[in-house]
Amino acid sequence: MQEAEKSEEKSRLVKAYTAIVLARTLDKKIVVAQRQGRVGFYTPTMGQEALQIGASMALTEKDLIYGYYRDVPMMLHRGVPMEVIINQIMGNSEDSALGRQMPSHFSDKKRNFMSVQSPVATNLPVATGAAFTQKYRKTNSVVLATFGDGSTSTPDFHAAMNMAAVFNLPVIFLCENNGWAISLPVEKQTIAEIWTKAAAYGMRGLRVNGNDVIETHEVTLEAVKRAREGKGPTLIDAVSFRMGPHSTSDDPSKYRSETVEEGSDRDPVVVTEKTLKSRGYIDDKLIESIKSRAQKIVDDKFEECAKIPPPEPKSAFEDVYGKSTWMLDEEVKDIL
Amino acid sequence: MTEMNMVQALNSALDLSMAADDSIILLGEDIGVDGGVFRVTEGLQKKYGPERVNDTPLVELGIVGMAIGMALTGLKPIAEIQFQDFIYTAMDQIINQAAKIRYRSAGQYTVPMVLRTPYGGGIKGGLYHSQSGETYFAHTAGLTVVSPSNPADAKGLLISSIGYGDPVIFLEPKRIYRTIKGEVKDGSYAIPLRKAAVVREGDDITAITYGSMVPTVRDAFEKNNVNGDIIDLRTLMPFDIETIVKSVEKTGRVLVVHEAPRTLGLGAEISAAIAERAMESLLGPILRVTGPDSPFPYRHEEYYLPNEKRIMKAVNKLSEYR
Ligand SMILES: Cc1ncc(C[n+]2csc(CCOP(=O)(O)OP(=O)(O)O)c2C)c(N)n1
Ligand SMILES: [Mg+2]
Repeated sequence: MQEAEKSEEKSRLVKAYTAIVLARTLDKKIVVAQRQGRVGFYTPTMGQEALQIGASMALTEKDLIYGYYRDVPMMLHRGVPMEVIINQIMGNSEDSALGRQMPSHFSDKKRNFMSVQSPVATNLPVATGAAFTQKYRKTNSVVLATFGDGSTSTPDFHAAMNMAAVFNLPVIFLCENNGWAISLPVEKQTIAEIWTKAAAYGMRGLRVNGNDVIETHEVTLEAVKRAREGKGPTLIDAVSFRMGPHSTSDDPSKYRSETVEEGSDRDPVVVTEKTLKSRGYIDDKLIESIKSRAQKIVDDKFEECAKIPPPEPKSAFEDVYGKSTWMLDEEVKDIL
Repeated sequence: MTEMNMVQALNSALDLSMAADDSIILLGEDIGVDGGVFRVTEGLQKKYGPERVNDTPLVELGIVGMAIGMALTGLKPIAEIQFQDFIYTAMDQIINQAAKIRYRSAGQYTVPMVLRTPYGGGIKGGLYHSQSGETYFAHTAGLTVVSPSNPADAKGLLISSIGYGDPVIFLEPKRIYRTIKGEVKDGSYAIPLRKAAVVREGDDITAITYGSMVPTVRDAFEKNNVNGDIIDLRTLMPFDIETIVKSVEKTGRVLVVHEAPRTLGLGAEISAAIAERAMESLLGPILRVTGPDSPFPYRHEEYYLPNEKRIMKAVNKLSEYR
């Protein structure tokens, strides 16, 4: 590798690692805050950081993400300000959706991260439509759609894959295969391996080690390149694991005996650290400073956001239509 | 002015709008080469190309989902659902995506999409080609529900619905697609949404109706010399309460007519809204002539559909209240 190339790779990977650490630090902060009653609910991302950031590395800021409720690491890597995430979780007056959605339903239009819905996989046909626009308008942008392994059983998944293939659209379906859909293991979700489902639609399907940020990046980059060249959609089955519970309301001890411990060899933070060390991109000193900096940023941002007041009650009944209806106006008058 | 039927008027609305705005995209089953099973999109693929008039795979939730995605990214999609009866697999996309995106993004994202779909009975379509499901949509905050009753309205209302800014469920009364002709202006024109039309005026009774029932009620009133207002809602949600109340204050007698099943149909909501606002003006009960709470039958569909006999029975009953 040339010097310039190597230094470019170094800065790319250090940025990725920094985002992984930041995401992990924020994740833990929110989980603790939920236990303290400072946050209502959260869906932790621990275990999925590397795959999300690997995928995000393959995108430009003009590409669009139609993500789901576990995509905080990807958002952070993309440059979504941390306060956008924390304000959403707190549902305060600075939240771009004014506290209307429960925590983990993020949105950041400025960074082309589409507002997240709860019904799983319903973002996939929508992402396919957004990809239609990119093709029709010849924008050269691609759409990345994310979802979990459980979501592959839905009709929306099949509809989206089929239509994306039929219309040959620039969309990448990234399955964040964490092995579980709440309590159902992926083996009971589907008999076939997820990446093989692409064949049914005449689409490219691949499996990657989602724990490996470099591998995920390379595979996604190839898919993005093909999409930009008009070669159509790709399904990527990024295999990782859910280190934490499904959500802060879930108790996995009822259905799961084995888990990946934080700091163990399979923890994506540790794996990424090792990779970067072996390439000589980081050392213990840099790791320490990245981690302590992340902790400070997270603590500071969290307390800053916690001071922001809630939205006005009347805002809970706005933006239903471009112009409100007489029905709603009357009902709201009665409430407030 | 040209005399045409509703299918031709809708086609003209699509044609004129597409010619003026390349962000308008059509998608649906058999709408391209075939021009749609009811021929509403006839000739448009030839004129605007397969990139703008898209024949899709047979999957309603995919059609609607894609239309939403197009709308979110700057296009103005118009999706056709071949029959309203087949829209139900797409209800999740309609209710949980289309209707909620403006709200859940505090107005940052909007869905300027039109879903056109033929609805209602009268073509011997049996239980799966005759449903009137307007209540399902009207009960969802965020959706605008429109239904025309004649060719001229069909054109103007569709033009207003395109790029309206919020998702519009555009219900086309297929029974009168071709049975009624009318003079239609040649160029593009808009008929405002959320505004009802008083299509016949009189003093004794207010009939509130929409879609295919407008001509049925009008024929009954004309034949029997009923001296009443007939209000064509045009927009079902949000319906035009002002026009309704104004008429009720004049007549004191109210009849609501729709094809959809009675229980929790639009008539129920309209009755309640009138009772809340114009109780003092009412001389008698608010009556409803509607389809029954059963599936839509094949062989005996004429028994299901409200007709002159049932309408006049209700009118006569109301006239006893003075
Ligand atoms: C259509 C639908 N059904 C049920 C739920 C409730 N639910 C929320 S998350 C979830 C599991 C999703 O699993 P997966 O797709 O693997 O994503 P993960 O949470 O593992 O990241 C379920 C059943 C939902 N949100 N949407
Ligand atoms: Mg999962």
